[in-house]
Amino acid sequence: MAKLTPEMKQVLKVVGKGGAVVFLSTCSKDGKPNIVAERFITHYKDEYILIAEMFAQKTKVNLNENEQGCISVAHPSKGKTWVFRGPCTIISHAASPNYRWHGIRAKEVLAEWGNWAEKEPPDEVPPDIAPPKLAQRGIIALKVEEIYSWEPQEAGKVLSS
Amino acid sequence: MTVPLTPRMKNWIEKFGVHAAVATRDRLPVVLVSYGCEVESDTVKIPLSRAQIGQVKDLFAEPPLVALGPGQLGSVRAPYQFKGKGALQNNNLVVKVSEIYCTRPGAEAGLRLDVLGYEKMKGFEEERWKDLKPPRA
Repeated sequence: MAKLTPEMKQVLKVVGKGGAVVFLSTCSKDGKPNIVAERFITHYKDEYILIAEMFAQKTKVNLNENEQGCISVAHPSKGKTWVFRGPCTIISHAASPNYRWHGIRAKEVLAEWGNWAEKEPPDEVPPDIAPPKLAQRGIIALKVEEIYSWEPQEAGKVLSS
Repeated sequence: MTVPLTPRMKNWIEKFGVHAAVATRDRLPVVLVSYGCEVESDTVKIPLSRAQIGQVKDLFAEPPLVALGPGQLGSVRAPYQFKGKGALQNNNLVVKVSEIYCTRPGAEAGLRLDVLGYEKMKGFEEERWKDLKPPRA
């Protein structure tokens, strides 16, 4: 089982706290991919990555039919050219507090990150990009099963699995 | 039907490259990243390393759908997603773009831009962003 290293955990944070913007990639059951940049991100324990579910539309449709995702570090990325892949889901605010997914309990993650904009407001986001209002509907969770490099010269090299 | 990219889209992804997502036959997403690319009208040409080609060549027996997000600073300042059929040609991934989405967080997230037509798509950008070219390194 892949484990996040301390260096990776430093990157899997909001940009305002020294982390990075990432891309979340998913695909539909018939193989149509979708890729979106995400700012609200954190690691959880040693093998999970959490992202705020705010405006995910295709992502949600894809995860409902194909529970797999990839998270790639986008910016800043120097020396941090990682892709994290594994099962991925949405834990909705409407979920039962005791709902469990791959060892995550809904109430634990929603209690801490269920109102992410208040916890870690996007103060560093430029005004012409920042949304006027943030409405969080839940949390996207990815259980890291494989970590590989996206650096072109060693692309696909498995770093942990 | 394919759709030409606007100058802003072209400028940002040529300078900062893209993250390209494609699905394996088992429907697992795979991501390739480039530090730059070339755009001509509706076509994005992404240079691939030997390792990247080895990573995905089996997926291109039939042209798969590819989704592109602007890389590096573009992931913050250029909120677009491009989709289209991809093919391996020489050492490049060549994507003919047929769908363009706005991914700006908020009410416009997921808005499909290409259906506006080229001029209205350009107008949409010009109303929102002044940085038609990314900053110099």
